[in-house]
Amino acid sequence: MTSQTARALGASLRYEFRMQVRKPSVWIVPALTVVLFLLIGGSLLRDLFDPDESSDDARTTVVGLAVQVHTLLSIGYGCLLADRLVRDDRLRVAPILDATPARPSARLVGKYLGAGAATAVPILAVYFGFAAAYAVHTGAPDALGWALATCAVVIVPGLLFVAAFALAVPLIMPAPLFRVFFVGYWLWGNVVAPDMMPTLARTLIHPLGGYPLDALLDFHGIDGGDTWAGPVPGATLNFLRPDPTPTTAWLSIAVLLALAAVALAGGHAVRARRA
Amino acid sequence: MRIEISGLTKTYRGGVAALDGLDLVVPTGMFGLLGANGAGKTTLMRILAGLVRPTSGRVTVSGHDMGTGAGRTAVQHALGYLPQDLGVYPDLTARQFLDYVALLKGMDDRAARRRRVGELLEVVALTGDADRRLRGFSGGMRQRVGIAQALLADPRLLIVDEPTAGLDPEERIRFRTLLSQFAGRRTVLLSTHIVDDIAQTCREVAVLARGRLIFRGTVDELTHRARGRVWSIVTDGPPPAEGTVVSALPHDGGMRYRVVAPAAPGPQARPVDPALEDGYLALTAR
Ligand SMILES: Nc1ncnc2c1ncn2[C@@H]1O[C@H](COP(=O)(O)OP(=O)(O)OP(=O)(O)O)[C@@H](O)[C@H]1O
Ligand SMILES: [Mg+2]
Repeated sequence: MTSQTARALGASLRYEFRMQVRKPSVWIVPALTVVLFLLIGGSLLRDLFDPDESSDDARTTVVGLAVQVHTLLSIGYGCLLADRLVRDDRLRVAPILDATPARPSARLVGKYLGAGAATAVPILAVYFGFAAAYAVHTGAPDALGWALATCAVVIVPGLLFVAAFALAVPLIMPAPLFRVFFVGYWLWGNVVAPDMMPTLARTLIHPLGGYPLDALLDFHGIDGGDTWAGPVPGATLNFLRPDPTPTTAWLSIAVLLALAAVALAGGHAVRARRA
Repeated sequence: MRIEISGLTKTYRGGVAALDGLDLVVPTGMFGLLGANGAGKTTLMRILAGLVRPTSGRVTVSGHDMGTGAGRTAVQHALGYLPQDLGVYPDLTARQFLDYVALLKGMDDRAARRRRVGELLEVVALTGDADRRLRGFSGGMRQRVGIAQALLADPRLLIVDEPTAGLDPEERIRFRTLLSQFAGRRTVLLSTHIVDDIAQTCREVAVLARGRLIFRGTVDELTHRARGRVWSIVTDGPPPAEGTVVSALPHDGGMRYRVVAPAAPGPQARPVDPALEDGYLALTAR
């Protein structure tokens, strides 16, 4: 990468972050999601603070918190990023930016990382806020270490995967339609049992990170009886569900990141072809 | 920077031939581009800015071939471009938006960039609004932000597509003066429907019609196309049936018409000196 490319990437990253992080909806959507989840009786707080329901183990508790926060807030995350790339055309800013010598691919990656990071700020604030409250409440500082580790191997790869598709897919369909499909996919992919209909749940390309949860964080649900990775008897797509091991966990992370890169490259190609 | 265009054709999806075998050389200095709506001016400028790929034909700018990625990037390093239909990020201030474009243009030195952005805000008379969000800017104010971004990084090729659209008269005149001062040894390609802007700034001009070149020469030569064809006629009857009426002013209970027509549109008509607009009308009226 030449220094000019790096600087174009840096400039887009900085400004895309700045524009997105100031958008009220980036804060309101995750806040409302958490409030609604608590109002309908979600177990988020009980799992952390209720002695009858929470685990004795700090690791299990904060990893469980990550699963809840990640599952819940990724929906808004994908929706909030869906307009970022197409809005350059809609706002008619694209010709000005495209006429600069900055490489379009560098600007795209800068936008991806900048807008993606800005949209993740409230999610990470919620996650680390609750994790810190738990650490203080139970006097378990290692909870914060587990929170960081979970963030690195589960939340960040999942969000990078979602962000790439949220940016690229609206180039070929209207952003509102993408949002509908995305929410549908998220519910289908995460809620429906794999033996009822084909889903990506428990596969290597599950953005919820079943493999790293299972094999890197040794997480099997708050009660210890669940799993989010590996073959399901009678389900289709089992070839994508090897037994969870540290190797398949890292492989799963690599596959998610590679697919994100493919989605971005596809978006780049679609834009270049329109010239 | 010298622009050489040969056999340039652009057919959009759907089959519209926006440019149809255009040959044109644009030398250093101010150069005007005229033509009816849909004549292909914007398409030509978008190709020159590296935004659109031609269907066929060849374009070079200072010897850089716009058909190659390296050629386009080389030209874009020297380019200032004001699109016809420009937009801005509503969530940035004018100063931030200019800073962002300056960074993308490779102005890496922070102090120099700030200074230049400040100067250009002054040039387009937006210093007082520099730190307001662009969301609240009027159309003419946005246009001035567009002008300022085109002038960042001292472009040697400036392509401005209807730059004075939406500007108030004072700003319009200020801007066209700025343009001709700026031109000097640079190349400025100006497209506009305000013929007077070209008359006041350019020595040379090209006229496009349906994607083809129908005139290329000096402003005086275009004006002379109407020599002996511009008439003034005062009448209280109906407007003259022959030719193109350029203006109609109430006059002593009747009307005074200015008409471009091959022959006198009536016995009372007397010839008057042509202006550039008359030359343009004489050329295009068929
Ligand atoms: N993106 C596009 N897709 C399809 N057709 C297009 C596109 N852009 C322009 N055209 C067509 O190409 C022709 C030339 O358009 P262009 O915008 O270059 O004209 P222009 O001379 O700039 O007109 P105006 O004075 O109205 O700005 C028109 O017939 C227009 O409809
Ligand atoms: Mg145009």
